[in-house]
Amino acid sequence: MTVTSAPGQANTPTGAAKFSVRELDFYYGDFHALTGITIDVAENAVTAFIGPSGCGKSTFLRCLNRMNDLIPGARIDGEIMLDGADIYGQGVDPVDLRRRVGMIFQQPNPFPMSIYDNVAFGPRLHGIKKKDELDQIVEQALVRANLWKEVRDIMDRGGLTLSGGQQQRLCIARVLAVQPDVLLMDEPCSAIDPTSVQKVEDLMAELKSSVTVIIVTHNMQQAARVSDETAFFLQEMQGKPSELIEFGRTAEIFTSPHDRRTEDYITGRFG
Amino acid sequence: MRESYRNELKATKAEVVDIGRLVIEMTRDSTVSLVEGDLEVAERVIAADDELDARSRALEERTLETIATQFPVARDLRLLYSLANINVHMERMGDLAVNIAKATRRTAARTGPRTMYDLIRAQGNLVHRVLEAMIEAFETNDLELAYKLKEMDEPIDHLFKQFFRELSRLQEEDEIEWASSMVLASRYLERIADHAVDIGERLVYMVTGEFEAFDESLGGEEEPSTT
Repeated sequence: MTVTSAPGQANTPTGAAKFSVRELDFYYGDFHALTGITIDVAENAVTAFIGPSGCGKSTFLRCLNRMNDLIPGARIDGEIMLDGADIYGQGVDPVDLRRRVGMIFQQPNPFPMSIYDNVAFGPRLHGIKKKDELDQIVEQALVRANLWKEVRDIMDRGGLTLSGGQQQRLCIARVLAVQPDVLLMDEPCSAIDPTSVQKVEDLMAELKSSVTVIIVTHNMQQAARVSDETAFFLQEMQGKPSELIEFGRTAEIFTSPHDRRTEDYITGRFG
Repeated sequence: MRESYRNELKATKAEVVDIGRLVIEMTRDSTVSLVEGDLEVAERVIAADDELDARSRALEERTLETIATQFPVARDLRLLYSLANINVHMERMGDLAVNIAKATRRTAARTGPRTMYDLIRAQGNLVHRVLEAMIEAFETNDLELAYKLKEMDEPIDHLFKQFFRELSRLQEEDEIEWASSMVLASRYLERIADHAVDIGERLVYMVTGEFEAFDESLGGEEEPSTT
């Protein structure tokens, strides 16, 4: 793997590491999906994972909050540290981990309940009952998700009545309401309209002062626009596990990548 | 769509190579006009500048349009950015050739010391070699040749300094006026070669992504000393 910005040094081009991943291999039963992933994901930055379909970027993303635990036969080798603690270590509660490491999916998935209840869902689950406190949390989360102004007067309306882009931001607000450290976003903009894409991209830039954002995207221009660092994954041959090919500052990856395979992919020569 | 984009990148580069050939022709003709006192050739160079400017502007628009519509990255981005940059260098080289042709207008009516003609002819030949090497390096992405440009440029600077010293030997006022135009022309030739060296640097960036200064070239504004 090439570390573009700091050859031969720690794999974090900027900032402290939120996630430190060492020699990670991932298997779906007999299928070896990822191999040798070593990467430090910087805190309070936006990191983009790019690569062709099937390159393992979403699989890797799902390792970071143990979403893959839910798949029968899934297992990992290697180490994933969050703030220095092994997330696969004994005694780690995956539910608690997923509160700290929230996730946004390609298709917005609001619960079939009101806008307010969608956002209040997590905090209520964590025992917050007082109306004043909940109101404040809900408003704050909606403000941070760039949705507050659009829904402040229709909080009782069903979350599913919103447009696709608004639903996606509602889901982001729902995650933010439980104060996560990390936001994993798996193709969050591929199913929403351009105005909402803009809003989601804006909120990533705003959120990164308080949350570490990791985004999987097929849209290279989006990766270039929103991220501070970019990691390129590739499955070189059918049947072989995918690897992290290059990781570095986004500006550098998109002007002078060091690895020919990265260059070929981002310039559209394959994939 | 990517196929037509690739073809556009190739065609844009080919156009810059063509513009480079026009600049080489203008530089050669301007030097010939100066040493032969040939006003007709000088006017041809001056007229060619309109074509150069038009093509240079068109190329700038063309690269901007590709950047705006195709979102080039990595080596494609470096290529387009470098082509735009090299285009500016070439347009300036053309302006300098025009300046030399204009010097012919001022000097053609009389002759001066043979040494000065010899010096400018020698300088012109060396500049021509640098320009030919520059365009070949650029056309074929030959970095080895690009690195040689700085070395090839050195005797040109040396000749200019020699020319400057010759100037201080002159006594008669009208001869000095004539020689001043010639020394300026020598300076323009030297600057043209400096631009070629800068294009070589740009070529290295275009291919490798690394900025590398070949020492001074246009960065060095040092004036020659007559002492």
